[in-house]
Amino acid sequence: MAAVTFKDIHKAYGKVKVIHGINFDIGSGEFVVLVGPSGCGKSTLLRMLAGLEEISGGEILINGKVVNDLESKDRDIAMVFQSYALYPHMTVRENMGFSLRLRNADKKTTSDRVANASRILNLDPLLDRFPRELSGGQRQRVAMGRAIVRDPKVFLFDEPLSNLDAKLRVAMRAEIKALHQRLKTTTVYVTHDQIEAMTMADRIVVMHDGIVEQIGTPLELFDRPGNLFVAQFIGSPSMNVFKAQVRGRQASALGALWPLAPGVGHEGQTVDYGIRPTDLVLGETGIPAKVVVVEPTGAETELLVQVGALGQSGESDQTQTQTLVVVMHGRTAARPDDTVYLNLDAHKAHVFDGASGARLG
Amino acid sequence: MSVAASVRPKALTSWELWGRLMVVPYLVIFVVFVVYPVVYGLWLARDPQNYVKLAEDPVFFRTAINTFVFLVVGVNIKLAVALGLAGFFVTSRWWIKVLSLLFILPWAVPSIPTILSVRFMLNPEWGVINTTIFKLTGLDGPNWLNDPTLALTLSILMHIWKSLPFWTLILIAGRLSIPTEQYEAASVDGATSWQKFRFITWPSMKGLYFTSLLLSMIFTLGDFNSVYLLTGGSPADLTHVLATLGIRYLRLDQIELAMASIVVALPFVLPLVYVMMKRLSK
Amino acid sequence: MKWKAIATETKLLLVGIPVFLWTMIPIYHLFLFAISERDSATSGRLWPKNPTLQNFETVFGQKHFYLTHFWQQLGNSLLIAVAVGALTLFVATCAAFAISRLKVRGGRTVMNLALFTYFIPAAFLAVPMYKTMSNYGLLNNRWSLILAMVTIAAPYCIWVLKQASDKLPWELDEAARMDGATALQLFRLVYLPLMVPSLVAVGTYSLLLAWNEYLYGFLLLSKETDLTLAVALGNFLSADDSPWELLMATGFIYALPPAAIYYAFKRYMVSGLTAGAVKS
Repeated sequence: MAAVTFKDIHKAYGKVKVIHGINFDIGSGEFVVLVGPSGCGKSTLLRMLAGLEEISGGEILINGKVVNDLESKDRDIAMVFQSYALYPHMTVRENMGFSLRLRNADKKTTSDRVANASRILNLDPLLDRFPRELSGGQRQRVAMGRAIVRDPKVFLFDEPLSNLDAKLRVAMRAEIKALHQRLKTTTVYVTHDQIEAMTMADRIVVMHDGIVEQIGTPLELFDRPGNLFVAQFIGSPSMNVFKAQVRGRQASALGALWPLAPGVGHEGQTVDYGIRPTDLVLGETGIPAKVVVVEPTGAETELLVQVGALGQSGESDQTQTQTLVVVMHGRTAARPDDTVYLNLDAHKAHVFDGASGARLG
Repeated sequence: MSVAASVRPKALTSWELWGRLMVVPYLVIFVVFVVYPVVYGLWLARDPQNYVKLAEDPVFFRTAINTFVFLVVGVNIKLAVALGLAGFFVTSRWWIKVLSLLFILPWAVPSIPTILSVRFMLNPEWGVINTTIFKLTGLDGPNWLNDPTLALTLSILMHIWKSLPFWTLILIAGRLSIPTEQYEAASVDGATSWQKFRFITWPSMKGLYFTSLLLSMIFTLGDFNSVYLLTGGSPADLTHVLATLGIRYLRLDQIELAMASIVVALPFVLPLVYVMMKRLSK
Repeated sequence: MKWKAIATETKLLLVGIPVFLWTMIPIYHLFLFAISERDSATSGRLWPKNPTLQNFETVFGQKHFYLTHFWQQLGNSLLIAVAVGALTLFVATCAAFAISRLKVRGGRTVMNLALFTYFIPAAFLAVPMYKTMSNYGLLNNRWSLILAMVTIAAPYCIWVLKQASDKLPWELDEAARMDGATALQLFRLVYLPLMVPSLVAVGTYSLLLAWNEYLYGFLLLSKETDLTLAVALGNFLSADDSPWELLMATGFIYALPPAAIYYAFKRYMVSGLTAGAVKS
């Protein structure tokens, strides 16, 4: 039995439809990340699961039970909010124990559970402080502690790391993941940051404009994105994409011919040709490109190169030039305005139908 | 598409129930003590004869003029002074801070003792003002409260004395919400005080100023104490304003006239109320 | 540049000194009378020949015809003020919570009704209110004054509290709901503690409004032992030969509590009451 099931979920605010039919399951103990750009509906979906938004159509089930009409407190879930939502007038200890206090739990149970959560999250020295005395990361941990004390069936996270600075975000990511490994509670996590999704998820649900674009493990989404949107959303730096025409076993674009795997596309088809920056290799021969910028980042080097500006095939058409990103290990001797040669493996190319964006081959 | 599950009509959730319960106390008070009196009052004023009597009563006519002067002259002067003082009180000096603490007193303190105090100051025989004039010039000072024009003016001044601190506070709050950087930038650009006022202070405060002006007019219409306790409407009922007129008719057992005099004011008051509500309700 | 500094200070003083005199003269005069003997009070001096506290003694001892019920009347003022403060606080807090946090249906309408009441000049409502209380049989009953004042004070208080409520982060309510709070628990354990400064401002405002009120007390109460101190003071006026210095002494006593309370709660009052004025 799945821990959480979304069955044909629709959501509308008055006349405006924002979610158009979402179906998927989340397994028990799974860490699922809902990811997508702003406005794609991921937070709305999470809040419907939490009971903070009305469900316009469809059913949500938790452990096989329909929860549409259940109040949040009866769904046995706990939520960590983006802005932590700690009660400013209560100490850390009181914040964490609040849910038990509301149920008139006895003192022993409360203090035991709070002590347990506090130990897991290293909050012991902070128990008697007030939220205003804590740093962002500490507040986030208290919010998580409050959720742990509830001992719920499902943890919900609503963009919990958005308010933290970059370094802290990296540290907290690891902490949340470690917490999940320890407690093994089903977790639904919402973020707009695809790096968070990639590093933390067992499975990722990519959402866009109120529908699910693709569901899969991080590597599945990375290696075989099902459509153009997912291809460009997952991966950093983003995939290079440009329009091309299929000509036999190759695609013609930017004044050059790019390799295609067998069986991909039919003759004359307009496609979106994608290649990840890490899959472009510099060599002695290949597709010529002019170096625009070289950005060494220490272990790697990022180059911006312009393809198709050289007009060697006689076409000086404006649309036939584009700047691509190349990421390579180590250093390079190339400098701006140099000419370099790009190589790639046909099987590493991601080709999508020009009209529908669906993956070909 | 399965829509049935979540669309069936729900019973009132406990949250909605409590929401309604918690507005009940106020609603009860509103119905019992606002709706009933208003409706009843309008009903009392229904007889057209009342309005004929009002039109024939010279006191009413005089009252209308007095009220008009009170509002137009009094309130505008008050707000203009408040605006100026708002600028004054945000200047940082220790003694201005002390002064601002004292400045609140007229508003915080009840009006009966203070208005009576002023009334005694104005007593023509032994009041402080006339005795001082006598000591300095040997002349008798005027009988302040016996001259209708003087008396009305003094009532207006009394009203200003009492309510100025409140409006100054409001305008100070508005003034403080203007970022100081704007003034600093203006100083660097070489602006004079007047230019700073004209181009920074006034544009930011215009809205608040006019809202305050309107609101103050409504409050001033309701200021019973400043007139009643100072002049009592004397001499000869020449210094009444609408607020005190109603009570006068009540004392004369002419309650219908009292209500009628209020109803007559409504065409002027209601537009004010309407504008205020538009500005403030969110 | 010293001249500029001197000019600025002079300009400030030119404003400050008149403001000071203007503000303090009536109050000083009140004080002056209160500590003067009967005859010297009316002599027009700036400081009494023999400053005395005897007037206060007379007042506290109720040793004058007009003062026979002083303590009773002081008690009435106090009782009514506290009752109004408490009752208004209750009514306004519940209404503001329902409108702002529970988002009750029709909340905006209630808010608008309240605003509408606030904008009716109190003196206009006085006459019909008098007849209304008469019809309800409440005349000469302290409750008529209490309820009338609550009616007048509540609208502004609801508005101020609603503005303050709206500033509380919405997620606190959601977190509390997820933690399992009922509406009442949210109100008691989360909302009220966070609203304390505004509650103090609003309670103090209503209390002072009731304490300072003259007109309604004048209309609604008539028995001498029922009167508030404010109305009793007004009654002094009707006689020809009133003891002015006693009147001022009583007035001074009457004026002290509001001044003291205002200064004690100044922090809350200023921020609480002007909060709605400036939309930051």
